[in-house]
Amino acid sequence: MGLDTVMGNIASDITESTKTLFETMIMMDLKHHGAFLVDDTKIHTDIIGLVTFTGKYHGVIGLFCTRQFALKVASSMLMTELTSFNNEVKDAIGEITNMIAGNVKTKLSAQYGEMNLSIPIVIAGEGLSITAVNNLPVVSDAAISCFSKDPWLMTPFISQDERFNIGLLLKESKN
Amino acid sequence: MTKVLIIDDSAVMRKIIQRNIQQSGLLVDEFIEAGDGKEGLEKATANDINLILCDWNMPNMSGIDFVKALRGSGQKSNIPIVMVTTEGSDAKVEEAKNSGANGYLTKPFTPDQLKSKLGNFLLIK
Repeated sequence: MGLDTVMGNIASDITESTKTLFETMIMMDLKHHGAFLVDDTKIHTDIIGLVTFTGKYHGVIGLFCTRQFALKVASSMLMTELTSFNNEVKDAIGEITNMIAGNVKTKLSAQYGEMNLSIPIVIAGEGLSITAVNNLPVVSDAAISCFSKDPWLMTPFISQDERFNIGLLLKESKN
Repeated sequence: MTKVLIIDDSAVMRKIIQRNIQQSGLLVDEFIEAGDGKEGLEKATANDINLILCDWNMPNMSGIDFVKALRGSGQKSNIPIVMVTTEGSDAKVEEAKNSGANGYLTKPFTPDQLKSKLGNFLLIK
């Protein structure tokens, strides 16, 4: 099975896992649009939640959103009005990323064998971008280096009139 | 006095689990929290715990290592443990059961799913 097919399957898994999460623990409306490939220099965001995985395939699942959306989603999850971007909000973003990645990983494991997940990492700032370490010009003052030249597979979602993206960076592991 | 120990590196998840249990009608008098397996082991042995809810992927000591350590400790080794984790593969569920976990709940979960799973170990008010 080609990497493109695997990525397409994972995009469906990301959509399904995100829908389940929003229906069960976040209780916010959710719409999604088709996935697309994007060069890492085009990613601009305030908040990044990341979980890496290893196994037959290895890579990263990332949640990219605005500060405003992070506040909304954390408030809904905790059933309390959060007005400032504090550790609770970061923790909530980490858990959301973790639950999406965990469910995607479970589906992947059924097809490709057991895989391992990392603990989530949350990076918060303003106007963050990701740039590959490949001599491309840095497009933001807040660029995070990524050791891959491959594009991200982005699945965009809209909830409470806010757009957020779940991204996937995937590679087949060498034996 | 019913005490439940929640072991999860996410304080938000510990809070959500606690809220769901309180709203479910399950009888719990006190919640004790731990941020990883190592802290969980200390609190499990230092308190009279009736039920442990444990995440899998945590820093310092993972949930599965916690289960193995508690079951092998001889002390308080028969406290029921329910894994509450994003790890949902058949292999992980099997590994948890073989290591001594008594129940398994995959995140995300609904309040009803949590109540149904914990209802085997806690009384309803």
